[in-house]
Amino acid sequence: MNFRRKPYLTAAVSAVLTVSLLAGCGSNNASEGSTASGSPAANGDKPFKGKTLSVYIGSNSTSEYIRSQLPEFEEATGMKVDFQVFANEQLSQKLSVQMTAGSATPDVFTIRPLEETKLFEKNGWLQPLNDYASKDAAFDLADFSESSLSSATANGNLIGIPMLTEQQILYYRKDLLKEAGIEVPKTLDELKAAAEKLNDPDKGIYGFVARGQKGALVTQLSSFVFSEGGDFQNGDKATLNTPEFIKASALYVDLLKNYGPPGVLNMGWPQAMGVFAQGKAAFFTDTSTVYPNATDPDKSTIADQVGFAPFPSGSSGAKPYNITAWALSMNSQSKSKDEAWAFIQWVTGKDMVKKLQLHGTPGARTSVWNDPEGEAGFPQGYIPVIQESVKTAIGHDRPQVIKVGEARDVISEIIIKGLVGEDITAAAEKANVEFQKIIDNEKAK
Amino acid sequence: MKQKSKAALLSTSAWLIILIFSFPLLWMVLASFKTQAQIMSTDNLLIFKPTLKNYSAVFEQYNFMKYIGNSAVVALGSTLGSLLLGLPAAYAIARYKLQGLALTILVARIIPAITFLIPWFILFSGLKLVDTFTALILTHMLVGLPFIIWIMIPFFESLPQEIEEAALIDGCSKFKVFLRIVLPISGPGVITSSLMSIIFSWNNFLFSIILAGEKTKTLPVAIFNFISYSEVNWGGIMAAACIITLPIILIALVAQRYVVSGLAAGALKG
Amino acid sequence: MRTAWLDKNIKWVFTLPAVLFVILMMAFPIFYTVRISFFEWSMSAVTPPRWVGLDNYIELLNSERFWQSVKATLYFTVLALVVETVLGVAIALVLFREYKGKNIAKTLFLLPMVSTPVAMGLVWLLIYEPTIGAANMMLKWFGFKPLEWLGNVNQAIPSLAIIDIWQWTPMVCLIVMAGLSTLPKDPYESAEVDGASAWQKLIYITLPLVRPTIIVAMMLRLIDVLKTFDIIYATTQGGPGSASETLNIYTYMLGFQFFKLGSASSLLVIFFTIILIFTLLMIWIRKRLGA
Repeated sequence: MNFRRKPYLTAAVSAVLTVSLLAGCGSNNASEGSTASGSPAANGDKPFKGKTLSVYIGSNSTSEYIRSQLPEFEEATGMKVDFQVFANEQLSQKLSVQMTAGSATPDVFTIRPLEETKLFEKNGWLQPLNDYASKDAAFDLADFSESSLSSATANGNLIGIPMLTEQQILYYRKDLLKEAGIEVPKTLDELKAAAEKLNDPDKGIYGFVARGQKGALVTQLSSFVFSEGGDFQNGDKATLNTPEFIKASALYVDLLKNYGPPGVLNMGWPQAMGVFAQGKAAFFTDTSTVYPNATDPDKSTIADQVGFAPFPSGSSGAKPYNITAWALSMNSQSKSKDEAWAFIQWVTGKDMVKKLQLHGTPGARTSVWNDPEGEAGFPQGYIPVIQESVKTAIGHDRPQVIKVGEARDVISEIIIKGLVGEDITAAAEKANVEFQKIIDNEKAK
Repeated sequence: MKQKSKAALLSTSAWLIILIFSFPLLWMVLASFKTQAQIMSTDNLLIFKPTLKNYSAVFEQYNFMKYIGNSAVVALGSTLGSLLLGLPAAYAIARYKLQGLALTILVARIIPAITFLIPWFILFSGLKLVDTFTALILTHMLVGLPFIIWIMIPFFESLPQEIEEAALIDGCSKFKVFLRIVLPISGPGVITSSLMSIIFSWNNFLFSIILAGEKTKTLPVAIFNFISYSEVNWGGIMAAACIITLPIILIALVAQRYVVSGLAAGALKG
Repeated sequence: MRTAWLDKNIKWVFTLPAVLFVILMMAFPIFYTVRISFFEWSMSAVTPPRWVGLDNYIELLNSERFWQSVKATLYFTVLALVVETVLGVAIALVLFREYKGKNIAKTLFLLPMVSTPVAMGLVWLLIYEPTIGAANMMLKWFGFKPLEWLGNVNQAIPSLAIIDIWQWTPMVCLIVMAGLSTLPKDPYESAEVDGASAWQKLIYITLPLVRPTIIVAMMLRLIDVLKTFDIIYATTQGGPGSASETLNIYTYMLGFQFFKLGSASSLLVIFFTIILIFTLLMIWIRKRLGA
């Protein structure tokens, strides 16, 4: 049984070589021949005629739009793109299997930087993009927000180009709040009071809904924890048993248990959003990017009554997360790296980011955010909330370890035990020990 | 009189059982013709204005025809392969009492399928066979083959041996006997075991998640992908579920005699 | 000449291709899995697998989550198997009689077991939906309190078992019916003469006679119930919390969500051993009680 060992160094060196070789081939290479418009080979000389590129993309608000724009890209570059969309878990799992086998496909794929960067980088699955990006003046890497780039960087290697940013915000029902004469909550205490007041299970209206599913809930719990002054860890020390963390967890449990719908333990964001979009909840907190599910009349019964508000403040102020949810990465084993870069550059170039933003997908480019046109794709009242959120935001929403999935499951236990009526403090102590084990294990290697 | 009421009671209870067991499938069909809003409202469960929107969405947006084709190719391919290997094997096991071999092949039924996934992926990548029908057919044969052998052994055992013996005395070779005499009268067994193999291949989810790509994606994976990242579209999911189960239900209805005996045959002598 | 050789070795010529195929397709994965179970490896292309001996096994046996998954597996298996057997035999005794439309009934009864499990998982997800699902509506009609079904730690496994029971009771039932149809007539006739009640006939004649068939049906179900994956993956993915995380689902999580290939493989080895023990136990029971 031989395991593939591809020394990382060689890959990096060969990448650098490829790039520098390319730099010498004039206008026929994508990275130089591209124009400010971001479309490779605008002069139409199809630099990649007859080549195919395989792309795996996570199913999110951008994927379908990008698919619709593909013909234009194929026309300009002459390559054929094999474009496949997967649900998150499936993508993660499919990527891991293919990379394990040292597969050269897919050439390009989306990763969730905070979830996968460390592991994928450690495993040598990702092609560093520093040289590609910095060689390409028109691409203008500096245009990306600092925080979005840092989340896609590991060991000094830029291993993905940010595609989609998100923040935790509060969704609420304008009509219900108006009827009850309640102001939009500005603090977590006010949120609790309002949820209590609006909770009316007999009428089928619950005060509050959010994720309660193992693993999935951790990211949405994070803003509660930050706003109470806590975090998952302090460097190499697990901090799940601090008073701040326990207070935030207790509040999260309290809201879901006493004012939430039944079956919350199985709710990831689609189910929780479903409850809100069917008009069954007054408040819902989750990531900003899922808003179309609430405002699209096809999917929502309360499309015209959706209000947006910044995440309420706790005892340490309002500290929602603000993260890069998706980034585009290149397979280090790819046989078509230049084609891959051309694709990444096309999707994350200024043109496409602007188009996506008009389509309602928040990107990571500062210039587009500052362009008044870039805001046109969003519902009224949404942009100010995002701008407000970003001011005081925290750049992560989950534990910062290699084995994120495992750590998320451990942290989830605190909330799950709380929801089934066990003691939260004891659960937090226990989770803290487990989480510390994960951190120590990773340090030892 | 007593007899009559007894009969009525019997048929009532029989049909009640059938109704209970059919309910989820009925529910699926009903929901597939409802809009999201109709599914969400709990007033009119049975009376509503049906819509075909879910079906058109499934076929237009998600290219389900292609996945149906893929599933069919894999199911038929793996069944043919399994028959080719399985029929002679089952015959030999039945005639020469090779119980040991039967057990070896049964091990394939016992091992959790997850065991195979990563090694297979590595193997098939090495052979450049990932996302090809070859890989899917070969892996699905590991499900179909034990089924075919399992069902055919008792079938061959139950055939009267006199004909074969007479043919042998007439100077036919054993191989010819199998080909000319045994196989032609094994129709029912072959149909039964093939149907089982087709059904179980059609329903297989785990192998395809890993080994199928866009070219060869089968229905179960497609329907799972259908629960997209951005919405729980119940109507669409139910329509997709109907589409995936319909062919099998048709097979079961048309060939019910065979399917029933298939599921029971392996058990009688087992 | 060639035919003579073929005839002499026909038992090998006929069986070898199938056996070789099975061994080739299985031996490599099994060997690979056992080997990796002594290593630690996160599927890395850079860091090769590290030999850790029995550490993966020790770590598993000391982890709460592992024991939780053993518990969940046994709970689910016993629950589904017992109900499927009892219900399957009971229903077989009803459906086996003569009544109007017997053939159609039998066919309709087949449908759950041939329906695609992944799709059925999704259908039941809708049925169990606490607010809009059919399950709670029924409870309301009959005046019961609504349940949380898959969303509740204590109700998840029974809810999943119901799906499995719905799908597979018909199979047990069919096998038992096939057994019933081969029963001899004489014992019943002499019982009739002795004036035995229907109940006595069932207990003293029918059940002992179909016992071997019931055991075979149970054995077939046991092997599959232990490995149930599709319906759990399509509905709860092991949730809520870890309530429905069976060994099979946990293996999948370890391998494909946490990338702990070593742990996942050692879990598979343990899992496989458990299945083997159960199967051998069933074979032994069958020998003692069966045919």
